[in-house]
Amino acid sequence: MNTIARYAIQGVLYAAFAAFVGYFSSAPTYRHIEPDEALLRLSFSHAGERKQPCRTRTPEELAKLPPNMRAPLDCPRERADVTVELELDGKLIHRVVAPPTGLARDGASTVYRRVVVAAGRHQVRVRLSDNPQGVFNYTAERSVDLGAGRVLLIDFNAAAGGFVFRM
Amino acid sequence: MDYGKWPATIFRKHNGVLRLIQRSGRWLFHRADALFNRAFGERLNPLYYLGATAYWLLWVVVATGIYLYIFFRTGVEEAYASVEYLTVEQWWLGGVMRSVHRYASDAMVLAMGLHLTRHFVFDSYRSFRWFSWVSGVILLWLTYASGINGYMLPWDRMAQFVVIATAEWFDALPVFQGTLIRNFIAEGAVNDRLWSLLSFIHIGLPLALLAVLWIHTQRVPHANTNPPRPIAASVIVALVVLALARPVTSQGGPADLSAAITTIDLDWFYLAAYALIYRWTPGEVWWLVGGATALFLLAPWLPPKRVRREGFHMLVHPDNRIIPVREGERLLDAALREEIPVPFDCRNGGCGECKGSLLYGRVDYGDYQDTALTGEERRNGKLLLCCATPLSDLEIEYEPEEMPGGAPVRIYTARVAAMKRLTHDVMQLILKVEGDEVPFFYAGQYLNVLLPDGQKRSFSFATAPHQRDHIELQVRWIPGGLFTTHVFTGMKEGDLVRFEGPLGSFFLREDSEKPIIFVAGATGFAPVKSMVEHAFHVGLKRRMYLYWGARSLRDLYAADLPRGWEREHENFRFVPVLSEPKPEDNWTGRTGLVHEAILADFADLSGHQIYACGSVGMVQAAHPAFMAHGMSEHDCFSDAFVLAPRIRTVTADMVRLGGRP
Repeated sequence: MNTIARYAIQGVLYAAFAAFVGYFSSAPTYRHIEPDEALLRLSFSHAGERKQPCRTRTPEELAKLPPNMRAPLDCPRERADVTVELELDGKLIHRVVAPPTGLARDGASTVYRRVVVAAGRHQVRVRLSDNPQGVFNYTAERSVDLGAGRVLLIDFNAAAGGFVFRM
Repeated sequence: MDYGKWPATIFRKHNGVLRLIQRSGRWLFHRADALFNRAFGERLNPLYYLGATAYWLLWVVVATGIYLYIFFRTGVEEAYASVEYLTVEQWWLGGVMRSVHRYASDAMVLAMGLHLTRHFVFDSYRSFRWFSWVSGVILLWLTYASGINGYMLPWDRMAQFVVIATAEWFDALPVFQGTLIRNFIAEGAVNDRLWSLLSFIHIGLPLALLAVLWIHTQRVPHANTNPPRPIAASVIVALVVLALARPVTSQGGPADLSAAITTIDLDWFYLAAYALIYRWTPGEVWWLVGGATALFLLAPWLPPKRVRREGFHMLVHPDNRIIPVREGERLLDAALREEIPVPFDCRNGGCGECKGSLLYGRVDYGDYQDTALTGEERRNGKLLLCCATPLSDLEIEYEPEEMPGGAPVRIYTARVAAMKRLTHDVMQLILKVEGDEVPFFYAGQYLNVLLPDGQKRSFSFATAPHQRDHIELQVRWIPGGLFTTHVFTGMKEGDLVRFEGPLGSFFLREDSEKPIIFVAGATGFAPVKSMVEHAFHVGLKRRMYLYWGARSLRDLYAADLPRGWEREHENFRFVPVLSEPKPEDNWTGRTGLVHEAILADFADLSGHQIYACGSVGMVQAAHPAFMAHGMSEHDCFSDAFVLAPRIRTVTADMVRLGGRP
């Protein structure tokens, strides 16, 4: 093989290397969700109620405790599971029972669900229980018009009154 | 059904499949190697430098990354804007740098993947190679973590996809359970401090990568961490052309957490698993990635297991050293590990640079290109040291290019100018080199006398390098020895002698200030004479002690010479030691073994350099004793010689025993 041909083939091989790198660096295109779809995300971090209510210690009980630990209230740390149900257009699509985090099960319960839905108007109903009895004490229902490629975030903030819908 | 046979059946099937994969892979690599050899030649075939190319690409990534970091701003708004400035306003440099940064990172993954595959199909990951393999798996993780982290920085829609996918993937782990995604859940959740964290990670991970890369190559003797310059330059040119032809740009504008990602031009080198997260479940991808990682990490210990042997020994010419070779170890690696200067280039059986001769023993010749070692060459006893592995003790020979210090190895012809019997069994030979071309050598090195039938005999230069008019050899008669018997019975002044040299990496180290202890046994005095005379010539002021051990007085065949040195030089002391003095010797000096005399004089050897020249028995007895008295391994140089009947009884050559000289 003469020198020119060798250099030409070397050029072709390096070009093929560059083409391979260049192509797979950004192709083929990955379709994350279809163009006529939208995203519904349920995400919150919320601490449930304590499983047992706080109790006032008697003077005798307080006297038995070291002086620096004489808190008037005895509050068991364990919290209740947080249960959340998400209905879309009348159909239950998620029911999540989120236990409290932490070794003493006294932390917040965290929930994250991601649902791909068809773009358009949807009836969304969500309810949450954060008490030991399992009673759904927070409920929200919205009719939302989700454009293609948009995101509906359903958050929860007890201080703000419960569920927060953000688009 | 005999359920007890299941594991054996499964392993047999596994072994069969594994061997089939490896055989197919080797076939593919050999075809590709041959094709590339035709285009690039054997010396510049990029497929022979995959690991080194990956290393080089990392430096490219680091260099371009430093430039990008100068302009990068850490903030929600600023991150995207600063990258856009580089890409659009400063496209001619910043844009090119960004593109090369990205493409070099991708090419690095490609080179690493091929490098790993090559070692897998050539079965170069088991046994003692586990360390490089396992550290390589860690490198893969670090590379991916660095690359994926880098995609988060420009804060475009691609960054949005990557941070959300990363959070959603990690949130599948029980420890997180949806907490990570809260950091990217909506506009306002992200603040400027995120980029400080991301930048910190994007600097820290590559630093860790470099550190592990350094560790990764430590166990590979003379690891090639740089590809040949033409390959390095060609890779750069290819990446720059690619950067100009297809510049990297931000995707879809700045990140918008209120909008979903619909389509994205994914970097499949780094983010293929991220597409799977949404085709499967995040948990399933964890099983895949974790399982693959565990499989890779355990691969060196999975069946088929090799029968463990203690390894072999290899006598290497022209160094005349016996070195250990591990089972499955390539002969080149074994030689380089012991600092034997075997020439090599591609290390993949393509260039033929490491071709040597198999003089004794059996080897597995390994896989190589036919152009590098022809069938006829193999029939004539040639082998490629980079491919062959031992099946027995071996004796090989290679063609040295140069010895330490760059002294070229050549063949010379000399005439015997004078002969003098120094004692009953030691002959002094004075050689005049034809053309007065006394080779340049280092004090302590040796030459090989070439015998008419092709055999070689090794003798140390007894003259110092500055003595340019002749060479002195001190030849001890070995009963039955071919050459030494000829010297004592047939050789006469005026005879011609052919020799090659200079050889050997045993020579006086002048870069130390430590006092020197020379230990000579019998004709081990010859290289010591060369070194001491050289030391006096260059005005070395270091304290020097010579302990010369012999059986009886007549074996100290040139004792007047060191006695004269002692008188003339304050920094020199001579201690003769006889192990079996005869009554007629009337010996009143030191007796016993020579190393024991040194130990009696020096309780602590940690501050000394020791040069031991003599029989293997002497060196082997002295070495552990010296070590026990604080001698540093780095300060002990030995030039032991011994008859080597175990390796090749016929030649009965003088060899130097193993270890670093």
